[in-house]
Amino acid sequence: MNHLPQAWGRPRDDIYGHYDPSHLQTAGPNAHTQQPIVTGTSVLAVKFKDGIVIAADNLASYGSLARFTHVHRLRPFNDRALVGFGGDISDMQYLDRLLNSLDVNENYGSPGHVLNAQNLHTYLSKVMYKRRSDMNPLWNSMLVVGLDGDDKPFLSSVDLLGTTFSSPTLATGFGGHLAQPLLRKLADDESQVKDVTREKAVAAVQECMKVLFYRDARSLDSYSIAVITKEGGVELKEDEQLEGQSWAFADTIRGYGTQVN
Amino acid sequence: MTSIGTGYDLQNSVFSPDGRNFQVEYAVKAVENGGTCIGIRCKNGIILATEKIITSKLLRPGANRRIATVDRNIGVVSAGLVPDGRHFVSRARDEASSWRSTYKAPIPVKALAGRLGSYVQAYTLYSSVRPFGITAIVGGWDTDAETKVDGQVGIGPAVGSGGKVDGAKKGGPGLYMIEPSGLYWGYYGAATGKGRQAAKAELEKLDLSSGTLELEAGVMEAARIIYVAHEDSKDKDFELEMSWVSSVDGPTKGRHEQVPSSLLEEAERRAKKAMEGEDEETGSGEGEKMEE
Amino acid sequence: MVRSSGMLGEDGIHVDMNHLKTGEVNMAITFCDGVILGADSRTTTGAYIANRVTDKLTQVHDTIWCCRSGSAADTQAVADIVSYHLGLYGVMHEEGPTTQTAAGLFQELCYDNKDRLSAGMIIAGYDQRNGGNVYSIPLGGSLHKQPYAIGGSGSTYIYGYCDSYWKEGMSEEEGIGFVKGALREAIKWDGSSGGVIRLVVLTNKGAVRHLYLPDQGYKGPGKGA
Repeated sequence: MNHLPQAWGRPRDDIYGHYDPSHLQTAGPNAHTQQPIVTGTSVLAVKFKDGIVIAADNLASYGSLARFTHVHRLRPFNDRALVGFGGDISDMQYLDRLLNSLDVNENYGSPGHVLNAQNLHTYLSKVMYKRRSDMNPLWNSMLVVGLDGDDKPFLSSVDLLGTTFSSPTLATGFGGHLAQPLLRKLADDESQVKDVTREKAVAAVQECMKVLFYRDARSLDSYSIAVITKEGGVELKEDEQLEGQSWAFADTIRGYGTQVN
Repeated sequence: MTSIGTGYDLQNSVFSPDGRNFQVEYAVKAVENGGTCIGIRCKNGIILATEKIITSKLLRPGANRRIATVDRNIGVVSAGLVPDGRHFVSRARDEASSWRSTYKAPIPVKALAGRLGSYVQAYTLYSSVRPFGITAIVGGWDTDAETKVDGQVGIGPAVGSGGKVDGAKKGGPGLYMIEPSGLYWGYYGAATGKGRQAAKAELEKLDLSSGTLELEAGVMEAARIIYVAHEDSKDKDFELEMSWVSSVDGPTKGRHEQVPSSLLEEAERRAKKAMEGEDEETGSGEGEKMEE
Repeated sequence: MVRSSGMLGEDGIHVDMNHLKTGEVNMAITFCDGVILGADSRTTTGAYIANRVTDKLTQVHDTIWCCRSGSAADTQAVADIVSYHLGLYGVMHEEGPTTQTAAGLFQELCYDNKDRLSAGMIIAGYDQRNGGNVYSIPLGGSLHKQPYAIGGSGSTYIYGYCDSYWKEGMSEEEGIGFVKGALREAIKWDGSSGGVIRLVVLTNKGAVRHLYLPDQGYKGPGKGA
């Protein structure tokens, strides 16, 4: 390293010629490119005839390291709306605080009036789109669930670009590849939702969490699950354990082809 | 006010030779004409109540509320100029939100009162502004549950945090009253506005400093006190408006809310009855008028 | 901990960000009377040990301390700012700041400046109302409440050790044993961790420092050293 402090952090004159100090000017484009660091994986949700079931595991990964194991990614907003977060945990916490202040402010204007899941989804989609347009996205994909203005089950997604999507079944991240096709067997379109019972929906989601635990290398066997109905509000359980896993068949596997012992 | 007319009362921020700021004293006059407001610090919560004078029959009953919420756990009510009160509340909300963005937790009632006191006081210092024409009562409940950082995830040890000291101070009710000068004190019971003298006399009878008054009983007392304080302006119609805050395990779950209508009606019914009873008992006697 | 020097790469123009990725180990745990913080004492510039007796346990208020890992310059700046805020809070309010207050301030700084900072922090503190609490703030600026937290590159070597031997509500003696045992493993396997073991025990009685030296088998001198 050069012993002259003036030269520190600058290209060497002997290699690059005299340093052009105009490069030091602070005006110009502002780059915020970031990357997610501590992350949560999939979130899944299914509509059933009188509500919604949503689940996400309790893991926050740091690269491939399973770093934090009690991270609750289903964040209730009130008794009729909940957001499930995938992606960066620090951005999830930012959004959690933002929604908290939204709730406080909403109460100032009209005490007792509560925002429903649809309102929340619209709000979040605007926030996400604004941030991606500022080239400073919030690195999340979320499922917003709950009841809409007519107290009907509501399920919709928003991602880091502000893209929104609705369907009777939704899954983010790895779940989009593995869980969504399985969940579609339950309800392929809106007309089939009326035939889905709460029990069937919960069982299907639990089955998908199991498949994801088998096949998603960033997943955990402890998870949170919530059911939202008009009658029961948000019923959230945050320390569930996967049940009925199938591993014993490993006993029948020998070698990688022709081996018999 | 013997110095009135000497010219020292025409401008804010100017002292009179005997050390008074007349503009502030005039602001107090504006407060003295306002509807009575009271705050009671109970064992398990805070009650705010106000006598809302009905200035027109064309106003919808129950609309145009005078008690405002700041953050979730604090209530503000003020006597005096209503628009000044609104601006005061708006500032209180800004302070609460700025506190949250710095410390990731709700603002303690005491800290809010301090910041608002400083804000009001600043309006006595400059000739370009006038003092606030309100006296505000700020009441709330600082959570006594384990404090969380907004947005935090994860859990501590399942056995709970080690080394907690029993009886260490944690949360509880807070009640403050801020005057046009910026002066503020913490109170067990606070009253301001037209009927403040009668209200104060009633509050003093409650032995609030013992900290034994239950919230529900406090609601009944608050309604009665507003009715007593209204005696002197009987010719005007009024609405009783009342709000409360309790601890997380109390009726409001730590939030500042309007007292539910069923309870409010019950309190009003009892207050009216108490007033009738008083008329019969004291009827001709005493007739002691509280001095204005 | 890494000294902020040797920034220029071979070509003389590219800043070598890898200099930040080297290591150390630090941790904080809750126990029955409060919290214990612990750290090694090695600061490296590449493979060179720039300081072999570093103190990585930083006080930000009477009984609120933190373990810093990542860029020394960044984490010191962040700790100084938080220390200023907590000092101010302490004199302006009757009730002093809590560990939660400190964690909130750290989190805001780390999150808002995530593009510019390379700072991983563990915040541990004690107050009478909330007892002992440990928070972890990893690189992106998220905030995690934990029964115990480990950090620094050396920590990857002791995830298994800590998970196996962790017990809730340990006595002070057990707690010190756990922290020392874990740090010894990290020092043993991680080239970027080393030197002495420093501990700070935070309880209702205040902050007490401990020191354990490698040439004494990490047995002494111990408390108050």
